[in-house]
Amino acid sequence: MTNSEQPGSANTPPSRGKIAERLLPGGEEPDPRFTLANERTFLAWIRTSLALLAGGIAIEAFTADLFLEPVRKGLAVVLLLLGMLLSAGAAVRWLRVERSMRNKAPLPLPLIVPLLAGAGALAAAVVLIFILWR
Amino acid sequence: MALVTVSAIFLRWLPTHGLPILLLFAVSAGAAAGIYFTQRRRYSASSRGIARENVDADITAVLWTACAGVALGGLGIGVVLAG
Repeated sequence: MTNSEQPGSANTPPSRGKIAERLLPGGEEPDPRFTLANERTFLAWIRTSLALLAGGIAIEAFTADLFLEPVRKGLAVVLLLLGMLLSAGAAVRWLRVERSMRNKAPLPLPLIVPLLAGAGALAAAVVLIFILWR
Repeated sequence: MALVTVSAIFLRWLPTHGLPILLLFAVSAGAAAGIYFTQRRRYSASSRGIARENVDADITAVLWTACAGVALGGLGIGVVLAG
């Protein structure tokens, strides 16, 4: 047995955790590049989610003399809600993509893309209407 | 860094919304600290995985990060509606 074949060495995959066994059952480990790319995509969605959270706070904190209170609160809640949904959606998408890759199945459609587009358009429309009406 | 930035922006709310903001700050800064202090271990695990061409999906980290985002959003909405 060479050094690289010994248990616990770099070539021996460690056993998967209970959570991984339960949430990602069956299939086989995909190419590491794809697993890492999936994680990078998840982190990109999380960054978008954090930007929306920060935007919601900024709307609420900095626009007191620009928007009426109901509009300000409404926009802040929409942005915070969107950030929250995006965080959860990113995890669900990561899980679905990982499952598909393990089972060599087609990748699922990204459901959070229409959510983000729709809510972004709604927030922009609210601001536009308010500016034109003011 | 993004979580640290968000935690700093949360502090902007402190004068208007009071002490509940510290909870938001704590969640955000705690998540940032958790990521910072575990990144060396995760980097090592990924490096070893690339070397043996088999990377385990880090499901715990993904779920914790998503939970932090959901908690921050939920707490933020609570603060906005209560204020």
